Amino acid sequence: MNTKLKVSEISKIYPGCVANDKISLEFGSGKIYALLGENGAGKSTLVKILSGVVKPDEGKVFLNNKSIKLNSPLDAKKNNIGMVFQHFNLFDTLSVFENLSIDSDKKNQDLRVLVNDILEKYNFKIDLDIPVLNLSAGQKQKVEIIRCLIRNPKVLIMDEPTSVLTEQETDDLFISLKQFSKDGILIIYITHKLKEVLSLCDEVAVMRKGKVVSVSNTIDEKIESLANKMVGENLNTIKKKINNFKYSEEILKISNLNFKSDDPYETNLNNLNLSLKKGECLGIAGISGNGQNELFQILSGEIITEGTSIMFRNKEISKLNPRERREYLMAFSPEDRISQAAVPELKIYENVALNNFKSSNFFEKGLVNEKKIKEHSKKILSNFSVNTDNVELKSQFLSGGNLQKLIIGRELITSPELLVCFNPTWGLDVGAINYIHETLIEINEQGKSSILISTDNDELLKLSDRICVIYKGKLSKIMNADTVTAEKLGILMGGGSID
Amino acid sequence: MSFDLNFIGILIGAIMASSVPLILAASGELITERSGVLNLGVEGMMIIGAISGFALMVVTDNLFLAVIGSMLSGLIISLIFGLLTQSLLTNHVATGLALTIFGIGMSAMIGKNFVGIPGKEFPLLFLNLKESIPFLGPIFFGHSIILYFAFVLPFLTNYFLKKTKTGLIIRAVGDSPTSASNQGINVTLVRYSCILYGGAMCGLAGAYLSLIYTPQWIENMTGGRGWIALALVVFATWSPIKVLIGALIFGGITILQLHMQAVGLRIPVQLLSALPYIMTIIVLVVISRDSRKIKLNTPTSLGQIFYKEK
Repeated sequence: MNTKLKVSEISKIYPGCVANDKISLEFGSGKIYALLGENGAGKSTLVKILSGVVKPDEGKVFLNNKSIKLNSPLDAKKNNIGMVFQHFNLFDTLSVFENLSIDSDKKNQDLRVLVNDILEKYNFKIDLDIPVLNLSAGQKQKVEIIRCLIRNPKVLIMDEPTSVLTEQETDDLFISLKQFSKDGILIIYITHKLKEVLSLCDEVAVMRKGKVVSVSNTIDEKIESLANKMVGENLNTIKKKINNFKYSEEILKISNLNFKSDDPYETNLNNLNLSLKKGECLGIAGISGNGQNELFQILSGEIITEGTSIMFRNKEISKLNPRERREYLMAFSPEDRISQAAVPELKIYENVALNNFKSSNFFEKGLVNEKKIKEHSKKILSNFSVNTDNVELKSQFLSGGNLQKLIIGRELITSPELLVCFNPTWGLDVGAINYIHETLIEINEQGKSSILISTDNDELLKLSDRICVIYKGKLSKIMNADTVTAEKLGILMGGGSID
Repeated sequence: MSFDLNFIGILIGAIMASSVPLILAASGELITERSGVLNLGVEGMMIIGAISGFALMVVTDNLFLAVIGSMLSGLIISLIFGLLTQSLLTNHVATGLALTIFGIGMSAMIGKNFVGIPGKEFPLLFLNLKESIPFLGPIFFGHSIILYFAFVLPFLTNYFLKKTKTGLIIRAVGDSPTSASNQGINVTLVRYSCILYGGAMCGLAGAYLSLIYTPQWIENMTGGRGWIALALVVFATWSPIKVLIGALIFGGITILQLHMQAVGLRIPVQLLSALPYIMTIIVLVVISRDSRKIKLNTPTSLGQIFYKEK
């Protein structure tokens, strides 16, 4: 059975932003289509329109040459359009089976037979009678997919499905998607990850600022060509010149760092020693959960450990709290932008003020000096190319990339001597990643040091002067970056040893 | 001292009667909260139910009409709450508090003309069995139809929430209104229905007070029972059966401490009066310690305003 889906001249305008500008695309079953674009390019709006969650201002959708109305999610379901949202649309406190049965007209027994058939056919392993909150992200996604499959979908839309998956889960997902495609389901795959487009999809439509800028076969594309189309400019490939160790001055020395935790979810750290020179970037690689969190918190002063010595610019700072450390010109950019680095409900300038320094005179006699903070915030926004100049905007309305620029900007505008950052480009699009990388290289060139804790090996190899690996709370030998390869890192990250 | 079994039976019967308004109001509020709506107007809805039930009884001389009328008035007043919170998207907490204050004032105004009027005798069922069977008789028989209903209600509620499709939809809406809406469920409609049901049950709870428990109108006669019902729902971790247990404990200790006061124990009266509140909370906290179950029963979106994407 052939399915043809066509969207014609779709437009959707939100106050201050054209999310979709006369979008026309055609899809046919048997192929996997990629919809590629940066955050905020309008991909999600388009798929929300296709799934009936959002109504377009203009334009039509045709299914098999027949115009269809999508006024509600029910309409999408009636037309056999299934959708797996980026943020799962599941009910955490209900069991898997309850989640599946809630919008099915079938009798429970019949539904169970059907679901078990699907589980068997696609080799999914999920217990139907446990609450969804006990599932991993990958399993939750499978529940969403099963929910679509129950209704014999003609079209299956996946919105950024791999953003929460592990590598293994991603591989499994791709196998399933290819199988669905073979079974005649038209698949539309939304992503900003270029590699996925090339490895999974047959055709790719690139969106930028609400418009479709290119449609092509993926065979004819390369990572670079797609990246350039997506960002709309030629990305200069940045490569750090290996620092010639211009400076010899040692800026940070950590000795005998030990950390023992009673919390079974935390990792103990075992006798970590490291030192850092001025203008140097030390990369710390590792699979997440090997002690990076704990190390970051000890560096930032959120955790104070006994018996550890942290000498920073010849001062012992191991007993100081984060604020005091900042006064000694350390700066921190935590992994979790939303919950650790910024308060999403607060306005931009308020978030800037949170990170106050004694010298900043943001606060006078206990009162907030709004004018000064706003001026300061404006400076951050323009210096670090955040795409708004409205300091009154709530931080939650910034995209991930812009929020990260704000956070890094907030840290760097005071010219700290050391920046510790933890997965600074996690989940960001190419343009933002490039910007952050350039910024990090720039501060090294200015003679400031940085510690980059990251799970992204490409990033580490690009930015670090020296690299080590953290594995089960222990640090490997620290190596010069030009002697390190991705393979070597991989071996160390898995607990192996080299030479 | 003669150990009078029959007396204990009568005592238990009294405890059951005193817990009826709590069970009714809390069961209604439980459904409302399970859909994610926090209606703090229980006290106000109860007292409106109490006065309208009593007033209708006086005017029409018909108890059936009085009971139905009290439920309708609870429903209508909860409709105000629904309009405000669901259609005009006002804050649940503030709106609920306002509803309670409104209800108390309104009932006092209407009730002025009904103070001092004696109530009508409410028919009690199986009175002969109550007399003829010692101990068990006063426990199981000689109650009003509303009491029997109240004691079945938590089990019905439990079954409804766990086993029926509508119950499942209510729980889903309470868990995540956004997801529910994206699944094509009409969140606003579900929440309205739950609010109205809760209002009707609170109205009935009020009518039980003014028509059966103490058949007369006294200003402020709910005396904070609405707040207790609210607390019961939370401390019973949204489980209807635990609401029943909690209501019985509260009723039980209330009656017992009255007897203790009458006996003249050398314990300050204030302390004894506080006993039901403290004990109910302690017991419910102890029987609801399973954090996993709490997580599964708690409506995650409780009190959150739901905006539909357009």
